[in-house]
Amino acid sequence: MLRQKRQILSLASRDYFHEWQISICFVLALAAVLGPMMVLFGLKFGIVGSMIEELVEDPLKREIRPVGSGHYDRVWMDKLRKRDDVAFIVPRVRSIASSLSVQSEASSRILHLEVIPSASGDPLLDASLAAPVGMDRVVLSASAARKLMVSAGDELQGSLVRTWRGRKERVVLPLKVVAIAPATAFKRDGLFASVMLVEALEDYRDGHAVPSMGWQGTAVTTERSYTGFRLYARSIYDVAALEDSFIRSGIEVRTQAADIETVRRMDNTLSAIYWAIALIGLGGFSLSLGASLWANVDRKRKELSVLRLVGFRTGEIVLFPLLQGVYTAVFGWGLACGIYLAAAWSINAMLAPQLERAQKVCRLLPEHYLIALGITLGAALLAALLAGMRAARVEPSEGLREL
Amino acid sequence: MPDPSSEIIYQLKNVARVRQSNGYAFSLRVPSLRIQRGEKIALIGESGCGKSTLLDMLAFILRPTDMDGFSFHADGANAVDIGAAWKKRRRNQLAGLRKKHLGYVMQTGGLLPFLNVHDNINLSRRMLGMKDDGTVQTLARELGLSRHLHKLPSALSTGERQRVAIGRALAHRPAIVIADEPTASVDPFAAEKIMSLFIGMVEEMNITVIVASHAWRHIKQLGLRRLAHHTRKSPDGRMTETVVSG
Repeated sequence: MLRQKRQILSLASRDYFHEWQISICFVLALAAVLGPMMVLFGLKFGIVGSMIEELVEDPLKREIRPVGSGHYDRVWMDKLRKRDDVAFIVPRVRSIASSLSVQSEASSRILHLEVIPSASGDPLLDASLAAPVGMDRVVLSASAARKLMVSAGDELQGSLVRTWRGRKERVVLPLKVVAIAPATAFKRDGLFASVMLVEALEDYRDGHAVPSMGWQGTAVTTERSYTGFRLYARSIYDVAALEDSFIRSGIEVRTQAADIETVRRMDNTLSAIYWAIALIGLGGFSLSLGASLWANVDRKRKELSVLRLVGFRTGEIVLFPLLQGVYTAVFGWGLACGIYLAAAWSINAMLAPQLERAQKVCRLLPEHYLIALGITLGAALLAALLAGMRAARVEPSEGLREL
Repeated sequence: MPDPSSEIIYQLKNVARVRQSNGYAFSLRVPSLRIQRGEKIALIGESGCGKSTLLDMLAFILRPTDMDGFSFHADGANAVDIGAAWKKRRRNQLAGLRKKHLGYVMQTGGLLPFLNVHDNINLSRRMLGMKDDGTVQTLARELGLSRHLHKLPSALSTGERQRVAIGRALAHRPAIVIADEPTASVDPFAAEKIMSLFIGMVEEMNITVIVASHAWRHIKQLGLRRLAHHTRKSPDGRMTETVVSG
């Protein structure tokens, strides 16, 4: 029976291409509905997608900062660090203690730098570059590096001043620049240092001894309390929940949750609008495809009757409209992809001046094309199958005499 | 093997097709009909008397509404119970019988418009997996179609199309060819020529033929057996009954 199946498929192909004008009409009718739907989806996906991407990529949007200063201990920090929705957390010390005067060989200026506690995995720093560690390895903000005229690998000299027991004291701190932070990460003059170094700076200023550096002072700090922290959520979607949990435990924090919420709400709204249009479109699309394939089977009744007369089996007869449906679906989808690509290209080209770098207003992923093909094929096969089965059920003598 | 002259190919007993629409009833009754292998049968009558109905039932494409017995002896020995096949909805079994044993010539063409003359004639042969042994070319030559082999049916005259249809019905050497007014749509002169050619070919191939026509005179000369039938109409014209016997 395989021979007859092959034969009926070849007959269906010959008929489809013999009647190419009508086949083109079917293909055009399909692409006319599917193409605009793909453009619509591309726009929705592109606009919302790039907004979300911008949010996700920007670490500042994931930052949760405490308002004012409080008392946080190491145990509490460690507990937070273990949470799944926390990507990064380091303690902050009093802001008065977290500054350092720095001098480089290349520049005569003495720069007063903000010291930012950091560690490896800091979202503000480039993950591919070295992180600040130990008492001497630091990362400079881009503007500080420019002003000091240094780059990664250069030496710096930090200088630290305190008044202790009525006397003014000063220590010199040799530093090594291991990396320069990206310009977008920190706009002011800053120095990213390990928590250990930041603690040492605070201790020295408070008059405590720092044995590892050989700095004299009162007893070594054992129980340390931090005034704040630098915390980044794992993703923008975790920010709101984290904020809630801080508020519940009485810590006032500031986040970008409102911004994120706006985009998410916009995503939801756009998605709802899109799906409303898509469902209407899909309905119309299925109806038009179904109607044209159904009409095609009706038009083909004479030919199908002849095929039954010469002895094709019912299952083989059904293959005839089925294959033609597949042709219409595949060609229509191909044309729709062409329409989409042309439209997407023009939209993106038109809006390019208003967009950042590689951003695209209208775009689709490869799987979206495949999903479109799957839906089209599914609808086409269903319509052709129903119509074909109806045609196969009609008594073969009917329809014969119309020829 | 039994004597071929007495070999029965169709045996019908009380087969009828009754159709009712809009208060009009048409019925075709066949109390008893036997057709033997190699017979040439003519069914003569004006249109509307049920000739096509009988032919379609004999071609297994129209289901009788009543039947006491309807058997088909394709290759002499094995009888196929057509009545049972219809009742059990074995459409594919009937399709298999048509494919192998039957050729059908319709009143107008019935050709596939997307196949050229050669492929139309070769349709059943290809279904049966028969080798390309020059049969199509030979038939085309006999039917005067040699120069049209690569043309589509739309490029042919009506008479040429009928000859293609005859070629298709004969190409796979079926046991029976059924022809429903094969020459009704061509002019009388061409009709006689085509009919003579057709009957000559089935005779030569020893194929059983059942042909419906409204012109008896010419058919008679070709030596066909006429099936007796008479048509009755009720006085109010609402009922038409045709009884065929033979």
